[in-house]
Amino acid sequence: MSALAQMLESRGLPTTVLALVLPQVEKTRPPRALMTPFLLGRPVGEPNDAGFQRRVLLQALSLLERTDGPVILEHFPDDPPSWVDRADWVPAVSLPPLDPMMSAGTPPSPAQWEFALRAEMVQVLPAWERFKARFGRTTVGLADQPPQDWPAFIASFLAGGLPGVPLHDTPALALRFLVDDLKALYGEAAQADGGPPSARQLDQWFWRKTVAGQLLIALRAFSLTSENSALKTVGGRFFVPVPYLPA
Amino acid sequence: MARLEDIPEPTRTAARDIACPSFESTPFVGGPALSKRRVALVSSAALIRRGDKPFPVGSGEHRAVPASWPTADILVSHVSINFDRAGYQRDINVVHPIDRLHDLAAEGAIGSVAQTHFSVMGSTDPAAMASAADDIAQALHADGVDAVLLCPV
Repeated sequence: MSALAQMLESRGLPTTVLALVLPQVEKTRPPRALMTPFLLGRPVGEPNDAGFQRRVLLQALSLLERTDGPVILEHFPDDPPSWVDRADWVPAVSLPPLDPMMSAGTPPSPAQWEFALRAEMVQVLPAWERFKARFGRTTVGLADQPPQDWPAFIASFLAGGLPGVPLHDTPALALRFLVDDLKALYGEAAQADGGPPSARQLDQWFWRKTVAGQLLIALRAFSLTSENSALKTVGGRFFVPVPYLPA
Repeated sequence: MARLEDIPEPTRTAARDIACPSFESTPFVGGPALSKRRVALVSSAALIRRGDKPFPVGSGEHRAVPASWPTADILVSHVSINFDRAGYQRDINVVHPIDRLHDLAAEGAIGSVAQTHFSVMGSTDPAAMASAADDIAQALHADGVDAVLLCPV
């Protein structure tokens, strides 16, 4: 974004950047930037907090009125409230303890994974519907497949198949965006009730307490052994965050 | 505190060490008071409308994000395992603060909101974006924009 700011400003447009990674801003030196302490993925900070978002935007936009540049770099002083864990947060979905078979012993077969995910999603989908009703939106939609098709689609990869969908150019891309939709659906379902959890709380729940999380860890391991180079790359880069990989 | 050290590896090292272009000088364009400015958003979240094809990885293309799009139909197609998605799931404004811009225009803090905003794909070599910068700049000038807020993801 800092480089694009340079490019747009050189084409006659005054710019100001919301910046998340200080070393990049220091190297590229855009005309004006507001450095924020927010996590990657939320450059304006706090969801559903118009006052907080307004302060971020006004501080960034106010840099446009200064005449002492270039380069102008300010720092936003506050963390978003949901940066810290919410002590009273519980996921809006109550799931049974994971079957130990999923993380130790004999690996489940593709059919067993499909059954387990389908059974879990029966419990998750009502909460997802509550989330959509409450917030009027869903970020699920990149896969271009309905949720009921997801368990069989993933299982077919585990069985050695390479299914695809018309929207995406390759099976690997179809799987990549389905995995993103699966994580999105669970993340939204868990947030159907109550205040916002921290990102850390949501991740810990998904990766340690759900069949879907365990399945994606297994799917990543499977993808890394695939002879399909695109699937191998996608599986390694886009399925599981490093902190949640098995030791 | 959410700082670079809080970003999980390998994204932390990649974000810190990514090759950034160096510019011989930094341009600096003036303008009227903020209350008179027309503001546009440019996002690197690879924003698409539900049902559209996601941006390819590394693509230097740009796409228009009309202000008329229902916010419930706007999706982020720049996928990373290390992005926090919880905030964006609850509220598109943490990525694309279109509602806040309209609030600021309504209260007179800014002059107006652009008719069309733009998105590109993050983690793309800026050298691949020269053509996109030309097209975005031309469109924003035609819309009377004189302030651009760039939002990473």
